[in-house]
Amino acid sequence: MLWIKNVTVIDPGQGVSGVNDVLVQKDKIVEVGPSFKAKEVLVKLGVTDINEVNQIDGDGKYLFPGLIDVHVHLREPGQEDKEDIASGSRAAIRGGFTSIMAMANTFPIVDQRAVVEFIKLQARRAGMARVYPISAVTKGFKGQELVEMMDIKDGGAVGFSDDGKGIQNAEIMRLALEYVKLTGCPIISHCEDEALASKGVMRRGRTSARLGLPGIPASSESVMVARDILLAAETGGKLHIAHVSTKESVEMIRWAKGKGIDLSAEVNPHHLIFTDEDITLTDTSYKVNPPLPSREDQEALLEGIIDGTIDMLATDHAPHTWEEKARPFQEAPFGINGLETSLAAVWQKLVQSGKLTPEKLVECWSLNPAQRFGIEGGTLKPGSLADMVLFDPLYKEEISTEAMESKSGNTPFLKKELQGFPVITWVEGRMLMKNRKII
Amino acid sequence: MKWKPKDLLDLDNLTTEEIEHILQTAKPMREILSRPIKKLPTLRGKSVVLLFYESSTRTRTSFESAAKILGADTTNFTVAQSSITKGESLLDTAKTIQAMNVDLVVVRHSSSGAADFLADTLKASVINGGDGQHAHPTQALLDLFTIQERIGDIKGKKVVIVGDIIHSRVARSNAIGLQKMGADVTLVGPPTLLPTEMSYLGIKLSHDLDKELPGADVVMALRLQLERQQSGLFPSIREYSKLYGLSVDRIKKTGKQTIVMHPGPMNRGVEIASDLADSVQSVIEKQVTNGVAIRMALIYLLIGGGTGNVVD
Amino acid sequence: MEGTPKNKIMDKDGIRRAVSRISHEIVEKNKGTKDLILIGIRTRGVPLAERIREKILEIEDINLPLGLLDITLYRDDLSTIGVQPVVHETKVPFSIEGKTVILIDDVLFTGRTVRAALDALIDLGRPQKIQLAVLVDRGHRELPIRADYVGKNVPTSSKEIISVCLEEIDNNEEVILLEKSKENNSI
Ligand SMILES: [Zn+2]
Repeated sequence: MLWIKNVTVIDPGQGVSGVNDVLVQKDKIVEVGPSFKAKEVLVKLGVTDINEVNQIDGDGKYLFPGLIDVHVHLREPGQEDKEDIASGSRAAIRGGFTSIMAMANTFPIVDQRAVVEFIKLQARRAGMARVYPISAVTKGFKGQELVEMMDIKDGGAVGFSDDGKGIQNAEIMRLALEYVKLTGCPIISHCEDEALASKGVMRRGRTSARLGLPGIPASSESVMVARDILLAAETGGKLHIAHVSTKESVEMIRWAKGKGIDLSAEVNPHHLIFTDEDITLTDTSYKVNPPLPSREDQEALLEGIIDGTIDMLATDHAPHTWEEKARPFQEAPFGINGLETSLAAVWQKLVQSGKLTPEKLVECWSLNPAQRFGIEGGTLKPGSLADMVLFDPLYKEEISTEAMESKSGNTPFLKKELQGFPVITWVEGRMLMKNRKII
Repeated sequence: MKWKPKDLLDLDNLTTEEIEHILQTAKPMREILSRPIKKLPTLRGKSVVLLFYESSTRTRTSFESAAKILGADTTNFTVAQSSITKGESLLDTAKTIQAMNVDLVVVRHSSSGAADFLADTLKASVINGGDGQHAHPTQALLDLFTIQERIGDIKGKKVVIVGDIIHSRVARSNAIGLQKMGADVTLVGPPTLLPTEMSYLGIKLSHDLDKELPGADVVMALRLQLERQQSGLFPSIREYSKLYGLSVDRIKKTGKQTIVMHPGPMNRGVEIASDLADSVQSVIEKQVTNGVAIRMALIYLLIGGGTGNVVD
Repeated sequence: MEGTPKNKIMDKDGIRRAVSRISHEIVEKNKGTKDLILIGIRTRGVPLAERIREKILEIEDINLPLGLLDITLYRDDLSTIGVQPVVHETKVPFSIEGKTVILIDDVLFTGRTVRAALDALIDLGRPQKIQLAVLVDRGHRELPIRADYVGKNVPTSSKEIISVCLEEIDNNEEVILLEKSKENNSI
């Protein structure tokens, strides 16, 4: 039993935003309300001795519903040198995420129920963040035949995506959006036209021209966003656009929402924090797909979040080993390790600077993901699972591979100091991280 | 002045003074090349590794001669002979080189940034012998040297670079170097090979060669990768050569004794007609000799003396 | 050169007389000017060589070929000095094959400059003879080298520096002895 006192609760799910006390019994939230008295607490929790209640002073700190990350690459099975389900879900807890959705581009690819069940089993063994598997849309990511969506859904998948690769064939995408209606789950689209992206390694523009790096035009994403929106409109299938990174995409999503098309969209923190101009030839930690946007795009993304066009934040946590990243820029793999730095980075760069409210952050990183994917969490309403994050806006930390739970350290924040970190993470009432360390 | 650079990766991080110092140092080197016995004791005991991931006999031999004339020992790591083809990473190759106590590494690589990567990893000095589409600073320096030798001060001279600009490390490094030396540079090519983002250089971009030729003191043709036609970047060699190919007739439009340059190897009849390539206006052969002199100067400057005050 | 002046060794007239005497000795020793070539070692050997050429023109009415030698690339201390010496052009626009080369420098000290100059010369061809003329010989040889013509012998200690100033380069004309105040890297 737990009594958190005087903590600033941010829970847009029940319209709470202010200093409150929070009571937890076993795995559930009992109540959120202003300064309870000890006597009341005994009654509400149904105990006789106040010593049975773990009391935490939340003064100066925030309490968020556990963050939900809908876009994570855990690399297991197959690439456990980069990450595995245990290390990735520990990293999630350390970063304030109580639920994560694991993408299907593993080896083997998650295109059968057995692999989905394996992932769930491994996540249970790890006992950290809840892991929700995402299944492939097409067998072997080949973009040709659909997976057994119903069977896989019954195995525990909450969405379908060939993420890592765009589905090039429009007819397959149309069929997927039709068939997925049986499951009630969304298709998560990694929007990338391979012919336009070609051998590009960063956003095409003046910086790519200067560095002599092959560029990926913004249209490589935007034309696919346009296509998928039209297909979603035509089929009525549920669509989620992963990692939106261009202003044209934002504009089209805004238009589509105006038309009542059933779609949602996410933005990755690195696209809100860095631009193509930050790229240098010698730091491959900035190499990511979709590539870092132009400044104009970045402004449009933020605007999209503020006006609700963009529903979610998602890390696109993509761990790679040091050796793989220690290559010339053109040859290094795409991806940024995000679980343990993203909340702090967004807090410092966007919330502290007043661009984003804490309420919006929680809405985008907890409430909306839970609602869109139909998973538990996202709010601290009485009776909800006690997935919670105690967040200290003053906590400073220099990012180091030693402290990180992830097996990889491919983040542009390495050796840099960030401010604003989760200091306690609870999943279903169990305290799994305290003072930045996994328990 | 002070000489600080440990590496030569591109011209954008060199000051105009440093570029001038390199060009100045190449002059005595040029004199040495005219001697019957071209062998100096200067870098006796120093070792230079030529790490070539792209086959380029001309650039490699130019560096090799330069190093050998200065008395250094050279070791070739070329694609065919080493673990490069067995998929060893550049990092591991770098570690091997480090263990060999090498003084200087010349690297040619198809990835932009490979030279910067090596310079970051190695204690030895690194000269970028061409990395992807990024930079080819020794080519640009030898071009500057050649222009200076032929027409004197570069400042205020009109230079037209024509061809596949976006994919060309030669164009990038030359544009930067020429700008630093005060030239008035114009880049010319079809929109597919000279897209608007090249405006980062802050110089004139044009798609019409004939319009840019009048008044040009120097015209530099770039090598056209013929296979780019297959990826749709230009419709045919015929049309390319009609619009952007240099010839004796076309070069008359400059109204000057313009000098004509080409980094080689040439596609005769495509970007440059044979009559022009072999004319007195062409300095293409001089570029080759000057290439050795420039590379000698750079090798001397990077590993000959210390870094610090330049003393006279 | 850093140091505190101690002693003036030669003034303008002294230098003029020394150059004049060396010029006479060159002609005398070689029994005329046949096959003679003058080569000045950069930097201060060059104006001295020019003066010797003028003097010989005055005495013998012969204008001897004059070359300039830059020895930077032949120095044996390049890898140990912390500075970056500027390389200048060597200008010997005539053959030295079978000729008698008069090598000219301002100061003879350790002998290393002359050693470098000999190597540089020999790379240009095979002269019949090489003779050495210096304005000042200050001793402290580290190599078996001696001068054929010396303007003035000046016994020095290793803590001292000889500074030669010539109008053409320094806008001043004198040879002075200095007390060394700092490590210096010249040879
Ligand atoms: Zn993706």
